[in-house]
Amino acid sequence: MRVVVAEDNALLREGLVLLLTSAGHEVVAVAGAEPEILPALLTHRPDIAVLDVRMPPGFRDEGLRAALAARAQIPGLPVLVLSQYVEESYAAELLGGGASGIGYLLKDRVGRVEEFLDALSRVAAGGTALDPEVVTELLRRRHATPLDSLTPRELEVLKLMAQGHDNATISATLVITERAVSKHIGNVFLKLRLPPADIGHRRVLAVLAYLNHA
Amino acid sequence: MRKTVRQAARATVQLALAVGLTAFCFAFVTVLLITAIGTVALVGAWLLPETALLIRRIAGAKRSMAAAWTGRPVPEAYQPVTGPLRDRLRTAVRDPGTFADLRWLAANYVYGCLGILALPLWPAGLVVDGLWCGLLRRRAVLLPLISRLADLDATWSARLLAPSPKALLAARVEQLTQTRAGAIAAHSAELRRIERDLHDGAQARLVALSMRIGLAKLAYDRDPQAGRRLLDEAQEHAEEALAELRHVVRGIHPPILTDRGLAGAVRALAASSGLDVTVRADDLDAGPRAPAAVEAAAYFVVAEALTNAAKHSGSRRAEVEVSRTRAGLRVTVRDAGKGGAEASGSDAAGTGLAGMRRRVAALDGTFDLASPAGGPTVIETELPCVW
Repeated sequence: MRVVVAEDNALLREGLVLLLTSAGHEVVAVAGAEPEILPALLTHRPDIAVLDVRMPPGFRDEGLRAALAARAQIPGLPVLVLSQYVEESYAAELLGGGASGIGYLLKDRVGRVEEFLDALSRVAAGGTALDPEVVTELLRRRHATPLDSLTPRELEVLKLMAQGHDNATISATLVITERAVSKHIGNVFLKLRLPPADIGHRRVLAVLAYLNHA
Repeated sequence: MRKTVRQAARATVQLALAVGLTAFCFAFVTVLLITAIGTVALVGAWLLPETALLIRRIAGAKRSMAAAWTGRPVPEAYQPVTGPLRDRLRTAVRDPGTFADLRWLAANYVYGCLGILALPLWPAGLVVDGLWCGLLRRRAVLLPLISRLADLDATWSARLLAPSPKALLAARVEQLTQTRAGAIAAHSAELRRIERDLHDGAQARLVALSMRIGLAKLAYDRDPQAGRRLLDEAQEHAEEALAELRHVVRGIHPPILTDRGLAGAVRALAASSGLDVTVRADDLDAGPRAPAAVEAAAYFVVAEALTNAAKHSGSRRAEVEVSRTRAGLRVTVRDAGKGGAEASGSDAAGTGLAGMRRRVAALDGTFDLASPAGGPTVIETELPCVW
């Protein structure tokens, strides 16, 4: 895949480039500051953009804003946003324009190379990758809702769904059959009274919308 | 006529109180003399500060009496008499307030019995004004004099008891010394907490991580399986260290404050609170930002208050208002819940509230909690800062 990387910290930037190239991806451009991001994306039209949230010159949320601006100009551009900390409201802003081709992960996750590369290709393919911490945070503040009626297993399945994983990954992660996964998902949707949604980002949106407005 | 009489009666009560207090002062002078003699004889040195305190209370009573009559509060400014005997003695003698009190005490000897004049004024006034005002419909003459007497008493007292600029300054310096000491103590405690968090958390994990990598290097050729297991553990330690660091950073200064400013950060808090929160913070969107410590404290208060509201109030609605005032930042959080925040005494709520109070006090701010049984709970905080 052709990737544009925006990261101001030289150490992390080189690490990311090394990781991506050794996985067989091509890093077509790197941006070290916010003003370089949009031109790089418009010139190279990559398969995916990997962006750091906090970038020069302001060291605030330039990367996030650049991601939103880029998606406004290049509709459907997959972006994977990385950050030292996750903020629920940032996830909501990113997902505001649809969950297709959106990733939002802690930088820590890059260390789990395989999982990171998996998230990368999932997002590039139009899927979703949401950090487990965001999902945990969403679940943490729910009290006395239909969520309480879920079994522990169903809750695990719900968390993985919200992170953007497909049935095959869920079954592999939880070491259960895909049939069992489908059954659990059916129960979750039934118990939460959600309209049945097909796989992929629409399912993520349905689950997230539920968690946000329960 | 009736109104005149009623007014005169009110004044008489006021004057009677004043005379009563003066009579008490006459008796009190005996105590004062004994103290003076005792102090001179170096036997009763401990009596002196106590006497100064007693004079303060008498002066305080007079202040509230004068304030009640004129409707204008009479400010007071004293230095606190605390600490060991030497300090108490020094404060009692040096406090400009003590001198002002003594001056009033002396002056009160002269004018304090003014009220007695009301006694002959009453029968004379009733007769004269009864004819003059009641029958001839003229303006009353004598009875209003009683009110004038009370006016005179209150005005003189207020003037004598109002603290001098010097005393006001001394009191302000004292207050600043105390709050600064409090702020430094809170700051030191905060530094120690951060140091301990880093020492026990991230630092320890990084040491463990480094050890695992060292062991993995040893095992690299000999036992690749064990090497891999050690590297897995090393990665776990690295991730845990990162999580700890994130936690510590959030505790020092939430990153979203840097990213979005206080208004944006509070809106994010509201959105993620799980409650239906109305935020009014438009005041802050433009103009200069408050100092980082003030923003962090305000953020902390809103975060704690919303957590408490979500956990304990039993309501799904809350309001947050953050606004500039002339002297700083005002934060109000109001829920629609069942109240009784302090009375409920649940541990989680209690420590949260105590934490908020400490954090606000460290910045010389005020923290008011109103949470009657039946609700709602309203938390109002003012944090001073210069815009």
